[in-house]
Amino acid sequence: MTTSPSTERAQQQGQQFDRRAMLVASGVAAAGIIGLPLLHRALQMTAPVFVARHQRYDGPIEQTIRDGLLSTGFDPATIRGKTVLLKPNLVEPTRACPQMTTHPAVVVAAGEVFRRWGATVLVGEGPGHVRDTEMALIESGMQDALDSSDLEFDDLNYSQVGWQSNGGRKSSLKGFYFPRQVIEADLIVSMPKMKTHHWVGYTGSLKNLYGVIPGCKYGWPKNVLHHAGIPETVFDINASLPKTVAIVDGILAMEGDGPIMGSAKPMGLLVVGTNCTAVDATLGRIMGFEPAKVGYLQLAANRLGPVEERCIEQHGERWQSVASPFKIIDFPHLQELRAPGVLVT
Amino acid sequence: MDLVDVLGRLAAKDAGGYQPGSPRATEPTALAALALLAHGREAEARPLLDWLASFQSGDGGIGIWNEQPTPGWPTGWAILAWTAAEQSAIADANDARARQRAIDYILSIKGSRIEWIEHSGHDTTIIGWPWVDGTHSWLEPTAMNVLALKHAGLGDHPRTREGVRLLQDRLLSTGGCNYGNTVVFRQQLKPQLEPTGLCLVALAGEPDASGRVAKSIDYLQRELTASTATISLCYGLLGLAAQGHPPAMADAWLTAACRRTLTRDPSTYKLALVALAALGTACPLIHMSAPLEQAT
Repeated sequence: MTTSPSTERAQQQGQQFDRRAMLVASGVAAAGIIGLPLLHRALQMTAPVFVARHQRYDGPIEQTIRDGLLSTGFDPATIRGKTVLLKPNLVEPTRACPQMTTHPAVVVAAGEVFRRWGATVLVGEGPGHVRDTEMALIESGMQDALDSSDLEFDDLNYSQVGWQSNGGRKSSLKGFYFPRQVIEADLIVSMPKMKTHHWVGYTGSLKNLYGVIPGCKYGWPKNVLHHAGIPETVFDINASLPKTVAIVDGILAMEGDGPIMGSAKPMGLLVVGTNCTAVDATLGRIMGFEPAKVGYLQLAANRLGPVEERCIEQHGERWQSVASPFKIIDFPHLQELRAPGVLVT
Repeated sequence: MDLVDVLGRLAAKDAGGYQPGSPRATEPTALAALALLAHGREAEARPLLDWLASFQSGDGGIGIWNEQPTPGWPTGWAILAWTAAEQSAIADANDARARQRAIDYILSIKGSRIEWIEHSGHDTTIIGWPWVDGTHSWLEPTAMNVLALKHAGLGDHPRTREGVRLLQDRLLSTGGCNYGNTVVFRQQLKPQLEPTGLCLVALAGEPDASGRVAKSIDYLQRELTASTATISLCYGLLGLAAQGHPPAMADAWLTAACRRTLTRDPSTYKLALVALAALGTACPLIHMSAPLEQAT
């Protein structure tokens, strides 16, 4: 069994926070002038998130992605000569529902960004609801885009797998079988669609990484994960993966009965960040949710990244300026995730 | 269609993977063995059948590939291959023994029973087969095992009958099916070609009191084209053939799919399905020469 890079990173971050906490605590003891709220705040993680508006699939989104990554502290030197795995969402594609899956133009643009920074780029996905991945690529338009941009695609549902211990331990699963490409990647780029989700509220870069779990070992849908708890396994998978960043396709989003049956909601957004938790918390605020009420974000908060608004540095557009509450289906478990005061007609 | 080329590739020493160059796996290997047997290349099926037996676990189950002995969901495919072998000139007592152990295994596996889930449109109390032991019953593993048990002479077994009931329950009211959900939060979900085709093969000969099979046939007839992805096309055509509605354009569509597959992704998995779909109603997934004596 191996210790996941994320876990190591979290441990390192934890050590940094511990040192900071010690200094603060020393100050408290010495001067007696700093209260507990400030100590609590000092222990919290912070991360930047970049939001770009007025984006179009036929626009300069490669530049937007590059700006977003650089703005949120991504260092291109870290992936020169390394392997980057782009993970779009192709859960159950159909041409009639482009709001369900990550648009190929965003994937191709991201691929170009990382290639120009000297990385080897792969695209990989294990569609959650369909065994015929070729069909998923054709219906999503991804096949044509991959061909024209000479990007290699790997079907993660049928890849060779390796065992990785559970770096999160919020579910009962002792570990995960990850595809070889996931284990060997130096960077995984979660590229979700901005969508509502009828079980967990909404889905972003953390939930999107369910798609790195191979169907051949976990089924279609990946029912082992459901049995172990969706929020818990979303957290555990993310805590067990190598380094991840997020590029969210919010240009044409989905509201209502997501993640499959919802309606199109044009938003014109790309949301980028080097911390998936912070990105997803920001997505939630834009969509009219209270992120702190969302199960997997409750688990991720200050373990994988920050959820509280004051701990997320806004780059590009402020989330308030692009916020547009998403419709959700009328069931209590979803309505209770709404941010206070949000009304959707 | 260049079936000679296709069959030659299925018989190659490195055949058997989900993708070109990937290690031999149970499902593509069993499908390749079925295709070779059905096209009269029986001797070339023998190494594939033996490989399946060599990979069988102590409990009779067969995992996905060598390094992954679990989950055992592909076991039904091996049963179908061994059943076909028993009806061929290369019948072997070892095949029969392996097949019986595999049948015992699938009869020991059940989807977990869960009471009705609010917001779910299907009957969660019907027991079929899961992808992974300990989880819920899903459509495709149930269809695979129903098919395997029917061809093994166990069409009247209570597990087969309950599996058939599950498949019928998971058909959408408007026709077709997906991975196995029908209605969630009051909304009917979308059908998909590949599970619909497989389901219709498994339901061949079953009465259609709900009319959903007829609607599923309509769905496949409406959606299949020459540009349909290979796996979906093959299962769709097999489903239509099994229900007595093979499309007139089937050969032309398969030829186009075969050409694309040979150019882009000549995997055993896809090529075996092409070779099987090319047989139409003579495909051994639809028809075997005679039911074997009841196995259990």
